[in-house]
Amino acid sequence: MKKRWNRIKTFFSKPYNVLLILFLVVLSFLVVFPLISIIKDTFIVHSSEKSRIHQAVGTFTDYHWKRLFASEFSKSLLWDPLKNSLKTSALSCVVSILIGGTFAWLVSRSDMRWKKLLTKLFIFPYIMPSWTLALAWKNFFKNIAVTGSNGIFYSLTGIQVPTWFAYGEFPIIIVTGMHYAPFAYILIGGILHNMDANLEEAAIILKTKRLRMFTRITIPIVMPAVLSTIILVFSGAMASFATPQFLGLPVRYYVLTTELYASINGTNPGVGYILALLMIFISIVIMFINQRMIGNRKSYATVTGKSANISIFHLGIWRTPISIMAFLLVMCMSVIPLVTFALESLLSYTGVYDFSNLTLSFWIGQAQGHDTWQSEPGILRNSEVYRTLWNSIKLSFTCSMGAGTLGFLAGYSIVRRRGSLLSQTVENLTFIPYLIPSMAFSAIYLSMFATRRGIIPSLYGTFAILALIGTVKYLPMASRSGVNSMLQLSPEIEEAGIIMGVPWVKRMTRIIIPIEKTTIVSGYLLPFISAMRELSLFVILVTANNRVLTTLLLFYDEKGYTQFSNAVNLLIIIVVLIINFTVERITGASIEKGVGG
Amino acid sequence: MPTIKLIDVTKKFGKGSLAVDHLNMEIKDGEFVSLLGPSGCGKTTTLRMIAGLETPTEGEIYFDDECVFSDEKGVNLSPDKRNVGFLFQNYALWPHMTVYNNISFGLENMKWPKEKIDARVKEICETMRISEYMNRYPAELSGGQQQRVAIARTLAPNPRVLLMDEPLSNLDAKLRNDMRTELKRLHKNSGSTFVYVTHDQSEAMTLSTKVALIRNGLLQQYCPPLQLYGEPNNVFCADFMGNPSMNFVEMHGVRKGDDVLLENKEFKLLFKPNDPIDIKEENDYVLGIRPEFIKIADKGIRSSVISSLPSGMETTLSLGVGDIVLSAVVFGSIDFAMESTEYFDFEGNGYVLFDKESQEKLTLGSLKIVE
Repeated sequence: MKKRWNRIKTFFSKPYNVLLILFLVVLSFLVVFPLISIIKDTFIVHSSEKSRIHQAVGTFTDYHWKRLFASEFSKSLLWDPLKNSLKTSALSCVVSILIGGTFAWLVSRSDMRWKKLLTKLFIFPYIMPSWTLALAWKNFFKNIAVTGSNGIFYSLTGIQVPTWFAYGEFPIIIVTGMHYAPFAYILIGGILHNMDANLEEAAIILKTKRLRMFTRITIPIVMPAVLSTIILVFSGAMASFATPQFLGLPVRYYVLTTELYASINGTNPGVGYILALLMIFISIVIMFINQRMIGNRKSYATVTGKSANISIFHLGIWRTPISIMAFLLVMCMSVIPLVTFALESLLSYTGVYDFSNLTLSFWIGQAQGHDTWQSEPGILRNSEVYRTLWNSIKLSFTCSMGAGTLGFLAGYSIVRRRGSLLSQTVENLTFIPYLIPSMAFSAIYLSMFATRRGIIPSLYGTFAILALIGTVKYLPMASRSGVNSMLQLSPEIEEAGIIMGVPWVKRMTRIIIPIEKTTIVSGYLLPFISAMRELSLFVILVTANNRVLTTLLLFYDEKGYTQFSNAVNLLIIIVVLIINFTVERITGASIEKGVGG
Repeated sequence: MPTIKLIDVTKKFGKGSLAVDHLNMEIKDGEFVSLLGPSGCGKTTTLRMIAGLETPTEGEIYFDDECVFSDEKGVNLSPDKRNVGFLFQNYALWPHMTVYNNISFGLENMKWPKEKIDARVKEICETMRISEYMNRYPAELSGGQQQRVAIARTLAPNPRVLLMDEPLSNLDAKLRNDMRTELKRLHKNSGSTFVYVTHDQSEAMTLSTKVALIRNGLLQQYCPPLQLYGEPNNVFCADFMGNPSMNFVEMHGVRKGDDVLLENKEFKLLFKPNDPIDIKEENDYVLGIRPEFIKIADKGIRSSVISSLPSGMETTLSLGVGDIVLSAVVFGSIDFAMESTEYFDFEGNGYVLFDKESQEKLTLGSLKIVE
């Protein structure tokens, strides 16, 4: 008995053990318990469903499952969105790999011009919010048949853009593909860049023709990067909400996320919860496939080596044309969208691109006291905009503090006890939020915190629930960077402090934190920027009085207040860019370096 | 099998940094030539220039009478047209192909008929004793097996020249020994010309028929290994070969007829050249003494044992004579007490006299202690 007591005492005398136990308890409550709660929610009647189910709120029902899987609405509620989601995600992978892979090859293996400038601009979409390109597309190609006004393309060329080109499946695929092209570029480019030149030289010596070398040696070797790009882009595209919402909704083209949003905001949340479960299931399947592929026989761990002398492919007479084409593409992905936002926000009447039609009133105009939306004050004079901006910054700051700090502590304690079951469990728990698509995760939190849970009151509509979900959702990012940085730091450095009798808090603040400064800062930076441009995670949970900038943007867009939505969009991008570059300047940590998650 | 001739080959990287400096070398048919030198001396660059993977800045390279590179004539044959095999330091096996495909890939490029490819792959796998791994991927093989696959892949098309870039450096000590034996056997059986890059002097000693010792891009000596060991051209060559390395004693010398009377603070020696040479009246010399030529005896020079490192077959001693420390090798299983007093003498005629200023070898000769 005494022996056991002593053992427990020793266990808890180690700070990392205490931390691990705390993480275990808190994460079980915040991650595992909600998963059970949402399953329950697929079987009960919610208050907004009283009129359709005719049963008391909270009673058991199989209505949702039946309606989704075995009713005349199955097709429109489930199968069509599912099919659309899978199709757009799969084709987005193709687009992003074609664009990103070609660009990666051009940069690392050819003598294309202006490489430095082009790569800098090419990563831009990665920093910007995911819907940037979607809104830009809309500004450019919208047509009078759907929106009531024409876009920039029409005013430049006079050509009416067909609806299939302007809205729905096609633009969603192109835009999502372009948004994720930087991923493909970074992953594939990384392998191309680090690939052992000897592998190709060995082929040259054995008289391999150029084309055969490309198809039989180069491509197979970058295949793992292509596969991880596919996994990332596919799951990213499956989870994306803003792009299909902006481009699909006008033509009633639904994917799983937009259908989920519609159900939960509409009169049948139960169906939405099932869709959320379905999305979680799909992303687990994807992760499983990913695991299987990593563990296959052809290990590529031996691929990298010294590669001082990669042979550069000379583009010859194509050098300038290809460089110009790459430049134009990169401009379309980075600079032109921003120009369209600025332009659209300055138009007095939408669709009329004329100097006499430019006005600053949507930015700095006074309120005119009429009842129409055009007479509202410009966004820089609008107290509502300032309130949401402040709310956004407050929220991002809270999430980044929460996720960054917890992530660092989690990383520390996980690494210190690496190999133990406890540490393994906590590491997996911190990773679960990454597997769950944002929209599904917020559906879970909605189901969990809409009512009182133990000592926690109902959190729906509060700032707290946004802060909480942001912190938990971004925890994987921060804890992974914490784990990685702690793995590089040998335990002896801390043990030297222990032997000299330095207490734990001082060891952390005076030894470990100063050494890991840069990685810790990026552990805070990533959640901040992600929260700043997050839409799908918050959109279900915000109410009119705790809006953030991104949901304000969605609100304006849904209402058709084009000038305001473009102005707010520009505002978000400017804030994100300013923060990114400031932090990059100050600390040398950069968001591009965290690429991969 | 061709003779490889390098004429005034120079390679500059970027501006100014000279990797290889006016190298002249002839590698004869069927030889096993090692390019030896400390890291960064230009040996790998030389090998890659022979293969065509690197382009020389100046000079000419011939395979027999065929010019494969010449900056003046503007000839630069690409690697695939030179008919060479190249074995990379890290093997460079293609990770996504099985052992079989790794080997057959090159043969397919040469448009061999299918049956012939199959037969050749099986044959070479037999020779390299990797037949049982033919359907495995490189990641599933041990280092030694990967090494053998790499050799098989290189040998399969019967290259006229086999170029090897430190192929054994990634293996552990025991495996390295086994592979040395295998390489030597392979050289004998294939009859090809081997050019071998290494920084390990014992590897070069044991394997090659000729060693080219390079330092900072300059060829120091090019001769059979035992000659390099016994008659080094200069202090660098002498120091680079042999383990434990040669003892160098700085001495002042005065001519005594055909001999030289060498003197330093601790002892006086009479150096008798093997062949008569011109000797200055008075000069500063460096005397090179191989450890195995120092003989523990009943009388001679008095020294104290600084350390004794017995390895079973022989014992390496550090002997202190005043400020001078000499290493000596005593064969047999014996140990010496530390700090004990021992006398030693010199035997044989393999002592090398270097000029101190130029560091060049003057001559070889025998030594006699002068009381």
